[in-house]
Amino acid sequence: MSRSGSLAVSEPLVEGSVDLARLDGDINRPLESFPTGRWWICISITSILSLYFLVCFVYTIAFGIGTWGNNNPVGWGWAITNFVFWIGIGHAGTLISAILFLLRQRWRTAIARFAEAMTVFAVICALQFPLIHTGRPWLAYWLLPLPNANDIWVNFRSPLLWDVVAVSTYGTISFLFWYTGLLPDLATVRDRAKHGLRKAVYGILSLGWNGSNRAWSHYEKAYLLFAGLSTPLVLSVHSVVSFDFATAVIPGWHTTIFPPYFVAGAIFSGFAMVATLIIIMRKMFHLEHVVTKNHLDVMNRIVIATSLMVGYAYAVEFFIAWYGGVAYERFVFINRALGPYAWAYWTMVSCNVIFPQLFWFRKIRRNVMLIYPIVILVNVGMWFERFVIVVTSLHRDFLPSSWDMFSATWVDIGLFVGSIGLFLTLLLLFCRFLPTVSVAETKAVLPGSQPGRHGGENDDAAGQGEGTEIAGSAAGAGGSHG
Amino acid sequence: MKADEKNSGRIHPSALRGRGLPSREDSAGVGLSGPDREESSAMSRRSVLKFMAASAVLSTGFLGCTRKPPRKIVSMADQPEYSRPGIPLYYASTWTEGSVPYGIMVKTLDGRPVKVEGLPGFPLNRGATNAAMQASLLGLYDPTRLKGPKKGKASISWEKADAALVEAIRNARSTVLITRSNLGPSERAMVERFCRAAGNARHFVHETVHDGPRRSAWKKIYGPASGKGEGGELTPDLSKARVVVSLDADFLGTDGPFLEAIRHFATTRRPDPKNPDAAPLSRLYAAESDMTVTGSNADHRIPLRPSLILPLVQAIRAALEGRKGELEALAKKEDYDIEVLQALVKDLDSHRGASVVLAGPHLPESVHAAVCLLNHAIKAPGATLRWNPAPPALEVTDPSEIAAALNAGVDNLILLGVNPVHDWPGGGFEKLLARSPFSVGHGLLADETVSTCTISLPSSHNLESWNDAAPWSAFRSLCQPVIAPLHDTRQEAESLLRWTRLLEPEDGSLKECRDWHDFLRSEWKGILANEGDDFIRAWEANLRHGFAGAFYTYPFPEPNRERAEALAGASSARPGGLEAVIKPHHALHDGRFASNGWLHELPDPVSRLVWDNAAAVGPATARELGVEEGDLVTLSSGKRKIMIPVLVQPGVAPRTVVVTLGHGRTRAGRLGSKVGVNTAALLGDGGAGGTAWLLPDVKIARTGRTHRLVRTQTAFSMDDRPIVLHGTTQEFAGNRDFVKDRRHVPEKIQLHDEFDYSEGRKWAMAIDLGACVGCGACITACQAENNIPIVGKDECGLGREMHWMRIDRYHEGDEENPEVLQQPMLCQHCDNAPCENVCPVNATAHSDDGLNDQIYNRCVGTRYCANNCPYKVRRFNFYNYRKEEEGSPTLELAHNPQVTVRMRGVMEKCSFCVQRINEADFRTKRPGRHIPDGTVRPACQQACPAGAIVFGDVNDPKSRVAKLEKSPLAYLVLDELNVKPNVRYLARLRNPHPDLEHRFRKKTGHEDHDGRGEGGHR
Repeated sequence: MSRSGSLAVSEPLVEGSVDLARLDGDINRPLESFPTGRWWICISITSILSLYFLVCFVYTIAFGIGTWGNNNPVGWGWAITNFVFWIGIGHAGTLISAILFLLRQRWRTAIARFAEAMTVFAVICALQFPLIHTGRPWLAYWLLPLPNANDIWVNFRSPLLWDVVAVSTYGTISFLFWYTGLLPDLATVRDRAKHGLRKAVYGILSLGWNGSNRAWSHYEKAYLLFAGLSTPLVLSVHSVVSFDFATAVIPGWHTTIFPPYFVAGAIFSGFAMVATLIIIMRKMFHLEHVVTKNHLDVMNRIVIATSLMVGYAYAVEFFIAWYGGVAYERFVFINRALGPYAWAYWTMVSCNVIFPQLFWFRKIRRNVMLIYPIVILVNVGMWFERFVIVVTSLHRDFLPSSWDMFSATWVDIGLFVGSIGLFLTLLLLFCRFLPTVSVAETKAVLPGSQPGRHGGENDDAAGQGEGTEIAGSAAGAGGSHG
Repeated sequence: MKADEKNSGRIHPSALRGRGLPSREDSAGVGLSGPDREESSAMSRRSVLKFMAASAVLSTGFLGCTRKPPRKIVSMADQPEYSRPGIPLYYASTWTEGSVPYGIMVKTLDGRPVKVEGLPGFPLNRGATNAAMQASLLGLYDPTRLKGPKKGKASISWEKADAALVEAIRNARSTVLITRSNLGPSERAMVERFCRAAGNARHFVHETVHDGPRRSAWKKIYGPASGKGEGGELTPDLSKARVVVSLDADFLGTDGPFLEAIRHFATTRRPDPKNPDAAPLSRLYAAESDMTVTGSNADHRIPLRPSLILPLVQAIRAALEGRKGELEALAKKEDYDIEVLQALVKDLDSHRGASVVLAGPHLPESVHAAVCLLNHAIKAPGATLRWNPAPPALEVTDPSEIAAALNAGVDNLILLGVNPVHDWPGGGFEKLLARSPFSVGHGLLADETVSTCTISLPSSHNLESWNDAAPWSAFRSLCQPVIAPLHDTRQEAESLLRWTRLLEPEDGSLKECRDWHDFLRSEWKGILANEGDDFIRAWEANLRHGFAGAFYTYPFPEPNRERAEALAGASSARPGGLEAVIKPHHALHDGRFASNGWLHELPDPVSRLVWDNAAAVGPATARELGVEEGDLVTLSSGKRKIMIPVLVQPGVAPRTVVVTLGHGRTRAGRLGSKVGVNTAALLGDGGAGGTAWLLPDVKIARTGRTHRLVRTQTAFSMDDRPIVLHGTTQEFAGNRDFVKDRRHVPEKIQLHDEFDYSEGRKWAMAIDLGACVGCGACITACQAENNIPIVGKDECGLGREMHWMRIDRYHEGDEENPEVLQQPMLCQHCDNAPCENVCPVNATAHSDDGLNDQIYNRCVGTRYCANNCPYKVRRFNFYNYRKEEEGSPTLELAHNPQVTVRMRGVMEKCSFCVQRINEADFRTKRPGRHIPDGTVRPACQQACPAGAIVFGDVNDPKSRVAKLEKSPLAYLVLDELNVKPNVRYLARLRNPHPDLEHRFRKKTGHEDHDGRGEGGHR
């Protein structure tokens, strides 16, 4: 059946008897009601964490990288770990919104908006770290290919420069994609607004959306184009990020498996993060019928698939280290598993490979109370994966004379925890000011909103468009097709 | 020149009355002007006034209507003689801060000294330096120096201080003068005259580190029967020795003229690649209690408790006389390596006249007497041992004699350049000091002693002083000031002269001497008498040259064998407990350099410990005692005890604990105070045939507390990696290419076109691992030359030390007695530099002549280059490490103006001293023109006493570096990465006794096997 998508989800995508008007109300309720006490408590905590991030940020700029645990063999520490972690988180958003859109995976509608927002916020968090990790952040703009009087160009051979290009492209495209998708919903919010200021603000944000056929047709084209543009980014961004390591000579970094391994890891961590947040969101805003257990089930299947890919990569790394016969590389991997950072390595392996295996069981896949700890562990594990790659490779490389240990300082911890605060603050604000689920798209997957009703064959776009436009009036007309 | 520097009224030394003379204007030795300018000083004063008047007129006339600038900029209206802005001037002088005088060449720029280099012709060091000499520069600019005379805490004028002292001496019944032992001949004469003028004041010599027992033994054996007079000394001539036996003698590290010893030793360790059998390498045996620099370089080493040295010497002598049983019995009893001892005896036996046995200065007289006899048995005297009847250092007074004198009551106590409150054996000098109603302390810093005295007088630094030195009687070297005193200071000899003149105003001979400089010259008149009438010409020639006289060959005196036998036979009871050895610190010596940050941060050549001292024990002893590294323990010897952290050091003899002097200063400036533990409190009285530095039965008790010790290197195992390649001489003789066979380098694939370096120059370096002893002088030389900051203990502990040059140390084999390998490591200036392609802003790039350049003002500090450096030689400014310098007007002056001072957030690393290359280019007037080989010498090469570092243009086939590149011993570290480094290492050759070669062979075979596996499939 077309409406259920191809990922073998036989259950309905929206549960219960939801009509179009109720859906509008359900999804827009957080925007239109005064925030609850719970929300205030949450945002207080996350704002404090964000402030702490700011403190550590300013402190680092004022006193230098010395305030971190970085040292001579370990030139990169938590900052780059966090950067790769956040960029990875973002990947699920792009994958869900772009690739699944192109593959017509209709179940994505419920989580796409949220995942896209997460992408944008994760990229914002990620971008803080390359900026602040430079020794002289006030000159970090020198990484951009800007014409200058000294006639010094950037070094295009440097993977860090590729990073700048990849991540800035990613950030821009992700934002535009997200914003484009928001337009019909912003118009809905505008239309429902009772207060003048609210109307004006959402009016401006919705760029004068009028729901006309032309608007819908342009919108659909733009959305399709952005989906097409974003799709290669899912693969390229984290591949480029992995080049930072893969092109280096350092054993443990210098491996060809990194690009696919990083992409798989990114999707893995991204889906875990989406699940982590959406489980809370659907509970908090009573959207269990929109984001259903079916959705969680499908996401968990992706988690287990990528977990196996990541696990395979871990195994192959060891195999190649042995098979390649380079003593230095062999040592790095033995050192990872048995050296002073073995605790980090085994945390990574158990969180990323062992615990996700529980998702083989359907009951666990569909039990929120069991899903939650597992996806949290995946988040932890994926952070440790980056830590293991960055730190354990550097701390003992070629010459034993320069070996040393890395230990984080309160500033390192503050920047990481603070960045989580920043991320969550942005998400909480998002929940309050923007529809967390794509209203327009969800209407298209409601029972009765199928194109057959209007005589079209399989025209999703038309169905979605009409769905929005006739949101109010067509509510009663929802038939029982399908 | 900085405005405030001029404003402080500093006059270039050459404008002083007693003016110094530069040795060369630049390295090329551009012409020196006429010899006699005695009158020019008057001229310069007049011209100063003239220009001052003229500029006053100008400023009021033309500039009076404009706003005054906030800071005055004084033009160099009267340019100091010889000085041209930006062109360095070099002054020959003498370093007199240590126990052995060495010749130095001080580089000054715009009137301020910026670098201390070795004086090339000086016989003892021949252009080499040690770390303390390099760091002397920082001592000059030390902001915590005493800046003017003080009475209590109140500043007084020199006149008042002098008057008070003279008054006190006139009224006193007794006066005691305590000095260091390293006084030059003129200063000794001055001391004598002062003592006479002060009514038979007594002169004592105080040193905590000296070779008293050894000198005393020699005096008894070689001196007149009466035992009167100054004793002579024996010095080894290692260039002639094929077999060297060290008995706790760190002759490559801290004992005697080690710069000469390192040079001589290194010359005997270079194989002739074409014909290695023609001149066989020397062989070094070391039996030692501590793991020393010497022991690290030994071919065979036996860890030995100090009390067992005497029986060992006696057994060796017996074995040489044919009684081998004694040695075997001893080896069996004490668990020595009998094979090594047998080889040693064989070697000594077959190398009579070409071998020498040396014993450490801290060992008792009996050992030295036995060693004398042994040396005579192997015919060392006159061949490998030289006799110097007039050593550079005075005989040290027994502390108990000083204590007795002070306890008896002394009205006046004058302390010149000594710090007994810190380093008095057993401590407690402050009580003795308090017994004198009037005391004068004369020193660089308001140290523990100076600040306790009634009057504190600031001394001028060695670089601000006139002096002379005589390492032996037929040789004199001059020490001249290279800058006028920075503060209101006076050198100690000058004070003595003034006091003598005030005490005896009628003394005709001193009347002519307006100051110490005149006195020095008058002393030299006698020495230069045979130069003819033109004393001034001869004097100035000596000033430029730095020294006068020839090397010494004194006939070796006849030993008094009976007395020697008697001394050697006085064997003390062998203790059964834990033995302690107290030694001078490798850099701080007895603590006199403890205010110097460069020396605190110079890693210990053995343990790589910085900013601390510790009680070193071997791993087995540590287990036996139940202590771990960093445990704070109480180390007690009788009633004396100290609290000190434990350092677990492989190679320290079983049941021996080694501590170093020099730390634990309480008033050594901001940097040096409260660093480490003062171990002088532990020093014994040396009674019962022992010495102050050997404690027979010490106890170690855990306190339960810990103290963090910071080593700049923590992993000492090479993990079977082919990093320091080494082999034996026998292996090399059998297979010239053993280094190439030692490891497998897979086929290297070049992905892109290579830059063509065949045109012009290509700089490269070769480091001879067989010659390098690992002393660390290069590290401090690099620090001085390249404005490298110190970062302190905490930052070192985080792994953020900034040294561009480091010396890696690896241990192999038995943990209790490891074989040591050392490797100076610096930027390898790779042709395929992995740091270059990863920098996103092009802040590190390659030059056409093969240098890996770091562009500081382009660097944004991503640290990617440092991560990607396989040698980990890049250094990042994690903090602003220059805060202290910025706050101090003097510390900034220590910077080399030819090298950029790096800011926070910037990466830095070895530049191959690119400023010296550019300077040479500048001198040839045409960049790119051929620079003769040896013209450009990086600071590390210049300082290296072993001559282990060679720098040059590999495109010049005649250059030394190009020749070394072709040596069969040459290899590249991490060659298999195809980064194409430009620093080549020459593999270290061990020279084991042929009977014991199999021990090393087994090991290398294993390595060979492992090495081949790398990079290829098995």
